[in-house]
Amino acid sequence: MGYLIVSNNPMVKEKFDNVYFIEGTSREVLEKVRDLVHEGFELMTHPLGASLRMMFSPCFSVVVKEKQGEFNYFHTEIIESSIEKYNQHMEVREEDVENSKDYAVVDYKLLESALGEINNNAMSF
Amino acid sequence: MKLEHRKINIKDIQFGEKTAVADGVLFVNKEEVIAELKTNSKIKEVKIDIARPGEKVRIIPVKDAIEPRVKIEGEGDQFPGVLAKVTQAGEGKVNILNGVAVVTIGDIVGFQEGVIDMWGEGAKWTPFSKTLNLVVEIIPIDGLEPHVHEAAVRMAGLKAAAFIGKAGREIEPDEIEVYETGSMAEEIAKYPDLPKVLYVEMLISQGLLHDGYIYGVNSQQILPTLLHPNEELDGAVISGNCVAACDKITTYQHQNNPVMKDLYAKHGKELNFLGVVLTPELTTLDGKIRTCDYTAKLCKMVGADGVIVSEEGYGNPDTDLLMICKRLEDSGIKTVLITDECSGRDGMSQSLADTAKEAIAVVSGGNVSHLVTLPPADIILGNIEAISTLAGGWEGSLLEDGSFMCELNAIIGATSEIGYHNCTSKLY
Repeated sequence: MGYLIVSNNPMVKEKFDNVYFIEGTSREVLEKVRDLVHEGFELMTHPLGASLRMMFSPCFSVVVKEKQGEFNYFHTEIIESSIEKYNQHMEVREEDVENSKDYAVVDYKLLESALGEINNNAMSF
Repeated sequence: MKLEHRKINIKDIQFGEKTAVADGVLFVNKEEVIAELKTNSKIKEVKIDIARPGEKVRIIPVKDAIEPRVKIEGEGDQFPGVLAKVTQAGEGKVNILNGVAVVTIGDIVGFQEGVIDMWGEGAKWTPFSKTLNLVVEIIPIDGLEPHVHEAAVRMAGLKAAAFIGKAGREIEPDEIEVYETGSMAEEIAKYPDLPKVLYVEMLISQGLLHDGYIYGVNSQQILPTLLHPNEELDGAVISGNCVAACDKITTYQHQNNPVMKDLYAKHGKELNFLGVVLTPELTTLDGKIRTCDYTAKLCKMVGADGVIVSEEGYGNPDTDLLMICKRLEDSGIKTVLITDECSGRDGMSQSLADTAKEAIAVVSGGNVSHLVTLPPADIILGNIEAISTLAGGWEGSLLEDGSFMCELNAIIGATSEIGYHNCTSKLY
């Protein structure tokens, strides 16, 4: 099963080959994911952080399934509402750039868990 | 399955020559506990302090709170599959040092969680201002990977609680709570006219600092599983997550899960409490669909008339919460959700990251974004600077006089999504 990691996390760029790397903010990662979903890609991981704290992460990674050809309304709704929720939070907060390095580690580890789940799934064979 | 919580009411903690309970006072031999914890080669240094209700003490950043207990009858001991050998939890007798919590602190990554104030404004928001806290600070050896560090701190807290809990082994309890139900078939036959209720407890299961464990198994690795409530009340479920303090469910809160206790109190009177489904919250969409479908299937198979669902966390877990709700309601099962709200400092924004029209019965544990100002403490246990990196704090949170401003999400257990907290919401 082909997948693509959309990420602005330098650790992710370094460790994986199939990365669409964003030189920018977490918001820009989400916006790129939205564009891809509109093009027919599907979400493999949820585009919102695993916790409130991770909403402030300057590094964020989302896994999408390579272009499926059909527009998926469910996934479009998820990415659109996630961006809306993200924007709502960031109206009063800023990305916690001071702790970028630690956020990169946690984002990487969370991604690793998700990929473990994806790769161990029988459907990926 | 029958479990006795035998509560020894503790009125004070003091350091002493021997770790023991005498006349309602818990004496702790500090060096003994430190030696016990330092058997882990990952731990360089351990500091132990006491924080009592009413003292002007601030504890920061908090990792976990754990209730000290000892099993005096029945299989196994505390935290089976983690500290003790894997055995069936949920039966027998447990002596509890009631009113005491082991609270672990220490930096793991640059951003942190959790403050407990033992007095004043801060105290009113956290249930752990009412417990006598044995505060255990863990300093690891240099160069540990964050996940190894997290595991070392998690294990140290559990170990300290189990070690201290042994002091209650020979003490007669002040009160005994009995938790007992028969098989589902027996309970259904016993109360044929009462509505059959299941409790679905969601656990964060997403990776570093975002994991819950069942019998030592990372919940990432399970399908939703049926549990007898006594298993969790006997230490089968522990916390391994360290992020947003307000809605983090500590091990102490699992050991005393109030949803289970309330359902027990109504069992055989208003409803028939059939059991618990533990449901992991995964990051992948396929994982979410699989676990939510599976959770609903278990509830249908058991024949539940009503289900209470509690969440852990915020963000993508909100999607799991509402997916479970939708599936249950569509099956004709009446569903109540327990969560908290992240609705902005003015409380006017959408409360959850996701919505569903089926979510018509929702109990709120409060608004995590509510702003509070906490006055300066006389004593800081831990690192006061951590406030700027807590979820709920920010650079500038700490004011010159030592007071600080933060959102409720910085305070441990402030808006607990299983209801072990002091806060709620009011509709105006």
